[in-house]
Amino acid sequence: MKKLFDLLKKIFKGLDIGLREVSTSLIEKELEETENVFALLTMGAFAGIPSPPTGIILRILPYMQREIYVMIARSKNIDDALAEIVGIFSIE
Amino acid sequence: MDIYFFLGKGGTGKTTISASFSVGLSHYNKDSNFLIASLDPAHNLGDAFNIELSNKIKKLTENLSAIEVDLEKMIKEYLNDLSTNLKYTYKYLTSFNLDKYFDVLRYSPGIEENAVLESIKKFLKMNEFDALIFDTPPTGITTRVLALPKLTLIWTKRLMDIRRKILDRRKMIENVKGKTEAIIGDEVITLTADEKEDQIMIELVNYSKEMEDLMKLFQSDLTKINIVTMPEDLALFETKRIIESLNKFNIKVNKIYLNKYLIFDNPPEVIEGKIIEQDRVIEKMREEIKNISIKDIPLLSQSPRGIEDLLKFYDNYILE
Amino acid sequence: MASVRYDGKSIQWVSGKLMSARTKYTFEIFIYFTLLLIIAAFMGVFTGLATTNASIGTASVLFIIVALIEGVLLYRTKLSFTVSSIIGVILLVLSIYIGYAFPFIKITNAHTWYIVLAIYSVFASSLPVWILLQPRDYLNAYILWAGLILGLVAAIFAFKGFNWPTFTIFSAVTVGGKPSPFWPTVPLVIACGALSGFHSLVATGTTSKQLDNELSGLFIGYGSMFTEGFLATLVITSIAAFGMQVFQGAAGKLTDLKIDLNLLMTDKTYLANKYAAASNSVGGAVGIFTKSFGKMSTSVGLPENIGTTFAGLWVSAFVLTTLDTAVRLARYAWSEIWEPIKKVSEGFYKFIANLWVASIIADGLALLLIWWGSYNILWPGFAGANQLLAAIAMITAAIWVKRVQKAKPSWQMAVLIPALFLWITVTIGLIWYLFVVVPGIAVAFNKYMLGGFTVIMLILNFILVGDFISGWRKGPLPEAEGK
Repeated sequence: MKKLFDLLKKIFKGLDIGLREVSTSLIEKELEETENVFALLTMGAFAGIPSPPTGIILRILPYMQREIYVMIARSKNIDDALAEIVGIFSIE
Repeated sequence: MDIYFFLGKGGTGKTTISASFSVGLSHYNKDSNFLIASLDPAHNLGDAFNIELSNKIKKLTENLSAIEVDLEKMIKEYLNDLSTNLKYTYKYLTSFNLDKYFDVLRYSPGIEENAVLESIKKFLKMNEFDALIFDTPPTGITTRVLALPKLTLIWTKRLMDIRRKILDRRKMIENVKGKTEAIIGDEVITLTADEKEDQIMIELVNYSKEMEDLMKLFQSDLTKINIVTMPEDLALFETKRIIESLNKFNIKVNKIYLNKYLIFDNPPEVIEGKIIEQDRVIEKMREEIKNISIKDIPLLSQSPRGIEDLLKFYDNYILE
Repeated sequence: MASVRYDGKSIQWVSGKLMSARTKYTFEIFIYFTLLLIIAAFMGVFTGLATTNASIGTASVLFIIVALIEGVLLYRTKLSFTVSSIIGVILLVLSIYIGYAFPFIKITNAHTWYIVLAIYSVFASSLPVWILLQPRDYLNAYILWAGLILGLVAAIFAFKGFNWPTFTIFSAVTVGGKPSPFWPTVPLVIACGALSGFHSLVATGTTSKQLDNELSGLFIGYGSMFTEGFLATLVITSIAAFGMQVFQGAAGKLTDLKIDLNLLMTDKTYLANKYAAASNSVGGAVGIFTKSFGKMSTSVGLPENIGTTFAGLWVSAFVLTTLDTAVRLARYAWSEIWEPIKKVSEGFYKFIANLWVASIIADGLALLLIWWGSYNILWPGFAGANQLLAAIAMITAAIWVKRVQKAKPSWQMAVLIPALFLWITVTIGLIWYLFVVVPGIAVAFNKYMLGGFTVIMLILNFILVGDFISGWRKGPLPEAEGK
């Protein structure tokens, strides 16, 4: 009997997590994209992108680890952008 | 605090005039304390005073001090501090070549302008002085320095908008999924969605405030921009350019010093052409540059050196 | 799997590397046209439902408002996720009920709906996702599961056998009012997720990046196929078991169309030839589904119209989501296509790639496609394009197998032959469509529009295949990075 309860609990927990994912997956994607843009704008000196006055970069550089992390992970896919976007919206 | 900038190409006499100006002004305003600072990497200020100057403020008279700022050292120190700090926080980003990045930064256009601006900010904080006089770096850099606050504001505003959007989205996800965590290396960092807690946002806000104050200061009457130039075609062209580019950022030019002006009763033939050019340029200047007072200073047989000479120079040629 | 090995890139990226850069560009144009067909076809589907059933129209509009509210509740208030979700579901049920009891949105003019949908999609696709798209996506999940469960239970209780003939004739009048030979037109009708070109844009783009290893890929593929298969079975069951009853319910309309109801029920050939026309009178294929679902759900005690409204909302919610997603994507593909013009005139690029301009152009073109006809005519075009994409994806995989995996010729053929079969089927299908169906389209403008579209797609198709042939001939490629 207890096993059944545990199983049910697990199922509901899984459902709960799943539903929360469904309700935020698009927003998550949008967030990642925006973080990417921010990272590119601030650290784009490498890529030849017009970058802000050095002063700004020097001030926020100490706090930018996560942004850089995201940027490196995503820089591989820049030339496949359409796929990235199509992937966000699952069309069947 | 009043601020006086002296801009001009090399060889126009900018350092001499700014030095003389500082001596004169401090002489006739005994109850105010003055500082003259050379921001020009190729320092000549010490030469003008005939006194050796360094990166430390040196008292010249009762109410006049001088300093030659070592920008190189400033930049190096700053980047070194940053570098050590970052090497710790970024130790997990092994694929991100921090050293390479710092090389790029060190030589990126704008690093010197930034250092000059930071230096100016530092002096502005020194309350013991009532007025600052700056002998500036080559005009290209100086105009960019003066425009930098406004330019920075445009960027910080844009970055803050994007950052706000990021924090806003994080907040929405937080509402549903709880706080977001990021795993960097073997550390787990909680990401905040609050503007008041996000360090990047805080820095952006603070920095933009500082820049806004600077921008307002440069645009106000407290800042007096002086251009030192010569009666030559190219010099006139350059002067107009400076006025225009400063205008774009709402910075007014206060006075133009037309230096090394040739005065001859009987000009030798060799120089006649020069005098004709000179007169032509001066006429053009008075025509095309309105609203800015122009002061002629003749070419002297000997440049003033030392405080006494500089004071005499001030009395003869600068004082109105 | 091809893209899993190639570091998770999408099929158009892979093809760009395996064949030529022009291939990738051609692909993007192809994708854009497919998206336009999707927008037009789905506008048609929704309108078909909304004009014949005011309950569905009403419920759909209400549902959008519910989604807007849910968005605010979920993401802007301090209300817990559970509470917001419960409120959302309650409002959802309410909108179905209100649609059923007070169907006040009674717009029967298809053109009106087209304009409304166009305006709607332009705005919806430019809103931040949290306002409409995300909450609606979320609520859709509840609709889907409720529908599957309800359908399953109702089907079990209601099942008395199919009264639909299993096989009628080989060339039923299906596509665009013309006798459509089963082969090659079946891919034109079935745009099913199990084999869908669009997935190669998507799955290879992102799912493959989420896989830890290739075995998981098999599971994911199998799992989603199963859900889709189940849904498809449900739909077919519902129609097969109750379709006739739907026709009986529409006896009046059928007589207007001079269709003999008795013959429909007894003569297989007659059914085959008159099916399309008959189903149009009840709102097309989608209409038949929703009505038959309604009938089926009476077996669990629901009033028939509620079942119909629910099924209608099920379809329309999905349709609307796809609609504004397709506009978003079309906008993006559009800006990528016009990229090269940046070097010539940046100002022009800025204008043409502008958010609003691109959306309006995409919707405008789609409107031109759907204005004069129902989606019955468009659907094959869309399905054809979709499957063509699948065929091309498979051919790309074949080339990958040959050049990157350096597989034995027998393996190469194992991949290439089905790919070629599919490609030949779809290409001939589209050519058949062009020469048999399109000329029969009543309105001249529509005829040329669709014809032009199909021609362009076929040309792009042959360009792509040309590239593939030369790609096939090239030697082995250096090893791609594994993940």
